[in-house]
Amino acid sequence: MKTTFELNGKPVSVEAPGDTPLLWVLRDDLDLTGTKFGCGIGECGACTVHVGGRATRSCITPLSSIEGAAVTTIEGLDPAGEHPVQVAWRDIQVPQCGYCQSGQIMQAASLLKDYPHPTDDEIDGVMGGSLCRCMTYIRIRKAIKQAAAQAAGQPGEQTGGDATHG
Amino acid sequence: MVNDTSSRHRGAFTLLKRAVGAAILAGVVGGGGFLAYAWYPSIAPIAKPAASSFSDEAVRRGALVAAAGYCAECHTRQDRGGGPALAGDYAMETPFGAIYSPNITPDPETGIGHWSEAAFKRAMNRGVSRDGSHLYPAFPFDHFTKVSDQDVADLYAYLMTRAPVHMEHRANTVPFPFSIRLLQAGWKLMFFTPGRFRPDPNHDTQWNRGAYLAEGDAHCGSCHTPRNLLGAEKASHAYDGAVIDGWIAPPLNDHNPTPVVWTEDELFAYLRHGVAPLHGSAAGPMAPVPHQFLSQLPESDVRAIAHYYADLDHAAARAGQDQAAIAVAMAQSKIDLTGPQTDPDARLYQGACAACHYNAAPAPVSGRPELALNNALWLDEPNNLFMVMLHGIGAAEGQDGIAMPSFYAGLSDADMARIAAYLRRTRTTRPPWTDLEKKAAAMRATLKTPPINASH
Amino acid sequence: MGKLERIAARQDGRALSRRGFLLTAGGAGFVFGFARPASAAQTYPSAVPGGLFEPTIWCAIGPDGTVNVNIIRAEMGQHVGTALARIIADEMEADWDKVKITQVDTDPKWGLMVTGGSWSVWMTWDVFRQAGAAARTVMIEEGAKLLGTTPAACSARNGMVTGNGRSISYGDIVARGRPTRQFTPDDMAKLPLKPATERRLIGKPVAALDIPAKTTGQAIYGIDVKIDGMVYARPKMPPTRYGTKVLSVDETEARTIPGYQRHVVLDDPSGIVPGWVVVIASTYPAAIRAADALKVEWSPGETHTVTEAEIIAHGHALIARPDGGTYVFDDKGTQDALHEASRVMERSYTCASVAHYQLEPVNAIARHIDGQWEIHTGNQWQSLVLPQLAKALAVPAEQIVMRTYLLGGGFGRRLNGDYAVPAALASKALGGVPVKLILTRSDDMAFDSIRSPSVQTIRAGLDPQGHVTGMRYDAVAGWPTEVMAPAFMQKGVDNKPYDQFAVAGADHWYQVGPMQLRAISNDLANRTFRPGWLRSVSAGWTPWALESFLDEVAHDLKKDPLAMRLSMLTAQGRNAGSAPDSNGGAKRQAAVLQRLADKIGWGRTTLPADTALGLATSFGQERGMPTWTAGAAQVHVDRKTGVVTCQKLWLVIDAGTIVDPGGALAQTEGAALWGLSMALFEGSEIVGGTIRDRNLDTYTPLRIPDVPDMDIEFADSTEKPMGLGEPGVTVIAPAIGNAVFNAVGARLRHLPIRPEAVLAALHDTTTA
Ligand code: FES
Ligand code: FES
Repeated sequence: MKTTFELNGKPVSVEAPGDTPLLWVLRDDLDLTGTKFGCGIGECGACTVHVGGRATRSCITPLSSIEGAAVTTIEGLDPAGEHPVQVAWRDIQVPQCGYCQSGQIMQAASLLKDYPHPTDDEIDGVMGGSLCRCMTYIRIRKAIKQAAAQAAGQPGEQTGGDATHG
Repeated sequence: MVNDTSSRHRGAFTLLKRAVGAAILAGVVGGGGFLAYAWYPSIAPIAKPAASSFSDEAVRRGALVAAAGYCAECHTRQDRGGGPALAGDYAMETPFGAIYSPNITPDPETGIGHWSEAAFKRAMNRGVSRDGSHLYPAFPFDHFTKVSDQDVADLYAYLMTRAPVHMEHRANTVPFPFSIRLLQAGWKLMFFTPGRFRPDPNHDTQWNRGAYLAEGDAHCGSCHTPRNLLGAEKASHAYDGAVIDGWIAPPLNDHNPTPVVWTEDELFAYLRHGVAPLHGSAAGPMAPVPHQFLSQLPESDVRAIAHYYADLDHAAARAGQDQAAIAVAMAQSKIDLTGPQTDPDARLYQGACAACHYNAAPAPVSGRPELALNNALWLDEPNNLFMVMLHGIGAAEGQDGIAMPSFYAGLSDADMARIAAYLRRTRTTRPPWTDLEKKAAAMRATLKTPPINASH
Repeated sequence: MGKLERIAARQDGRALSRRGFLLTAGGAGFVFGFARPASAAQTYPSAVPGGLFEPTIWCAIGPDGTVNVNIIRAEMGQHVGTALARIIADEMEADWDKVKITQVDTDPKWGLMVTGGSWSVWMTWDVFRQAGAAARTVMIEEGAKLLGTTPAACSARNGMVTGNGRSISYGDIVARGRPTRQFTPDDMAKLPLKPATERRLIGKPVAALDIPAKTTGQAIYGIDVKIDGMVYARPKMPPTRYGTKVLSVDETEARTIPGYQRHVVLDDPSGIVPGWVVVIASTYPAAIRAADALKVEWSPGETHTVTEAEIIAHGHALIARPDGGTYVFDDKGTQDALHEASRVMERSYTCASVAHYQLEPVNAIARHIDGQWEIHTGNQWQSLVLPQLAKALAVPAEQIVMRTYLLGGGFGRRLNGDYAVPAALASKALGGVPVKLILTRSDDMAFDSIRSPSVQTIRAGLDPQGHVTGMRYDAVAGWPTEVMAPAFMQKGVDNKPYDQFAVAGADHWYQVGPMQLRAISNDLANRTFRPGWLRSVSAGWTPWALESFLDEVAHDLKKDPLAMRLSMLTAQGRNAGSAPDSNGGAKRQAAVLQRLADKIGWGRTTLPADTALGLATSFGQERGMPTWTAGAAQVHVDRKTGVVTCQKLWLVIDAGTIVDPGGALAQTEGAALWGLSMALFEGSEIVGGTIRDRNLDTYTPLRIPDVPDMDIEFADSTEKPMGLGEPGVTVIAPAIGNAVFNAVGARLRHLPIRPEAVLAALHDTTTA
């Protein structure tokens, strides 16, 4: 079955069964391996991409259901990798193993669209579905706030962690 | 979308199954006089009229009548990779066998090319085929009888000017005696009142336009009105909601239990764009209605339907509580999602659902369906909640361009039951659902093929 | 020589005598690393340019001034490459902007390849400083020549040698001077090292080199690797880890899945994957479905009914027996002290199974090419798995090379490289075709090398004045090292082997009079599953017992738990410490504990009802590499629901020199949250011979809303750096347990702490 959709701004057609998870189409057929396989059941967020601009778990999204839709992956979030969330992620040095981070970044980017100045509650509510086994949560929270501040043209927070050096 | 094909099949199938039941009973009560009532002559075939014999204007109007009646939905093959529009062979399976819808393109041999306008009108008005045989009430002639003569003529013009497709539908496999079409007449005798729509002088033009469309061509009651044992709509329970093989077509009157009223604006948004911000998305058998069909109508027609149902459910009188209900829902939306959480059910919901369904005051964000307001959570049974979890919603359904994944492989029946119980408990004021795991399994069993080939 | 240096030396000798530089050409031509500049960071195969100066195997300077540092440690989130490269670059006075790192393959010249135990910085510290000194020495010598002066008149700084009023860059020195001098390890050891005051990179904030590619999707993990012509595979997991036999396979239904190719019943001479069947397909989704459709009948191993409760009960029984086990400490007079004590306190503590749930499910690609087996994967202990693969494939280890990619989480899971075996065997069955084998999450969890359930019993003798006069400590658990790497087991004082990673932490630095410490292997656990090393290994559960117990003792004696601990950290006898690793001994543990107490205002704060502080201390992972750690938790307990909410965590850590402060903090944040997760949020149990939870629908590790406030502080120190990947885990659970007691008087003795257990303990306190 042929499915046509828009991927990172360009039209693509894929010949694959309609019940194929979008995740594997992206990773194996389209060579975009930035989107990760974590749980495979929609509970970890590692596979998060945008469909129609909204964060979507690609591991359980059938290819057939995105016919005609616009899909964005981490590789296409910003052509230069300079999306405010990505910049903040580097400033705050968020990733550890990094495996969850494509999904975290995609989820955070869509969070900021819905809630441009997210409160801690809003971050909890939306990011609670994105598991980070390295537990980079403190920095994720901080980086989201910095990205929000930067997008709003305000000075971001200082980089670095909470530690005092005593 | 492929995912929902099977459920739409079964929506139509349910009508059919009940009609078949009716046929048997009608046969029992029938007698000599009955035969006289039941017998219709064949109407002579005609040569296929030339396309030029219809005015462009009539064809254009007829296209809208076809859209408002969703003709293509049941007259286009969905399985086997789909078929040409209106060429029939849409499969409706019953426990007795399969029935396939007829070709309504103007192909003389396999379609309606030999049908005169009178024959076509008789089918719409009386549910009788050109050859005089009775049509199963899966074809909703009980509604189409209300369609005006002008609209029927326009629809005829539209259909007869389609490209003829030579395509035989597969042979029905319904065995004797259910295959005796004549028996349908008994059912008509009991439940069918032919006649065109008559405007209600107590209401204005918009209302009457909405009522005309809703009661007639759009045949909303076919799904949303419960049926009696013989498969006929219960007039005394009009729009109380009904189960269409798995899915619940919710009540369209004031029995609808959602905390926010279905106002004219909500109804309009739903029917026009596939999503009502304060109620949810059009999914399952309803999915094609907004995007594929109603979106073709003039906006005023869709608004008229919305206006009609907003009156029917007394929205104006009830909507006063809406702001308070939204505020409650916004508070419920964050339950267990902010701050540490050890309840395993809450954590399951947090991982699978909350990233997309969490909302913060003052109102739900577009594309972030608020479950505390969602129809599916407030209905008497969890069918729609389970069905949506299993199927997901494609980008072409519900809210345009965005997709809900399918949790078919991701969540077990027990997991789905936990989420349903949890949401019902924390996001509504309704009594708990019962037997959830069994019901989840039952809903799962309605999907013949898994919508997704995901891991676990 | 420390324990690990001994292990390393043993491995080095073995590896080097085994073969020479068989893989030099292939190895050097195909490497993965992080190139600079950061914005263009990539991890892909890249050719190493020629004309390099390589004074040691550890680093090279190119004619363009680029400094390449070879990293043999797996990158799994600790930014280990950055930390290690900082050590070398600092000592060699390199320009940090010109430093890049290369993750190498398994050439034997690298010696022991293992990343775990929080050892990386600690193990590499000396050798990398020496390697840096070697490079600096040559740069100054050669630079002096080119500048027309003597080395003594020159100095090096920021990739330049300056002397005689002029400067020359390292790149120019390599390009023009073409230095070739090589250093043996003995030469290196004689070189003078810079004093701590001259350090310019170590201890300064730095952006980790691996991070940029992890924000753009460009970073390559094992699961991302593709090889032309590869097929996809998914294993069909047998019912038990051991002893399963395949009786029959029915592929009728699997054949109907488009893309299904065949199945392979593995024949594994190494015994690592008995009863595994692998499904081969042209796509991974096809492999997923076909594995589900494939019907396999097995005769299960004898452990197919074993439960967690049985393993715990067996642990208790083993402790009750006077024989068995290995004595880690067996001080004379321990039993006398206990007999003569005016009172003996005894308590038992248990911990449940814990899953790794590293976010990247385990996977590997195997192929046979040019007479060699190539394994592409993420792995933490290449030196362990290569011989296992050799046995499985029945080829000499020389014919196997492993290429390690980024790890989507390690946490000890990838110390056990078992997942490479089915990939290799499947490829072998297919004649060497590249096979990419991925375990789905439920596959991964079914045979995760879980943290074994454990039982610990501590007895202390008390004198009338309330001093501890003797201690008997028994710790029983599944022993990962016994199961997977028996050669690495330590010898006890009774000369019997024991798994140091299943008891470390119990061998504490407190003054308790004579002490017996017995480590016991839970053979039922070992037979049921492959016990794993999991972040902080035994130090993730021994402090749960020890530190809970000390609070129980203090409470019983009506002493302040802080004061009592400080009075026991006297740094005498074996607790005095020794250079270079444990200079200062228990005094340093006392210091972090005191500092923590000052920070949290121990004994001086008033908190709302049912809310309290609790504290605990540890020495990180092991006595040989102590990271002095003190932690506190503030919790609230809901008496109605039993739910414990951790509101804030504090940590004070003395890990010696902090090489990479940002990385150290990140590691400690993560470790502390792992501690919290294992204390309150996760944990599973063995049911029917395998772990009950198979995915996140029921397994519930900590998520972002669960994160409390945190305050982490590192002591200023110029001592040798110790590990930081794990010590943050160790004290969290006991600090929480102690805080719960201080808040509501309920004493918990099982991890994880579940609301039902809190309610039960509350019930006990009110009825007692
Ligand atoms: S891999 Fe898709 S949500 Fe975990
Ligand atoms: S950075 Fe490793 S899982 Fe998030």
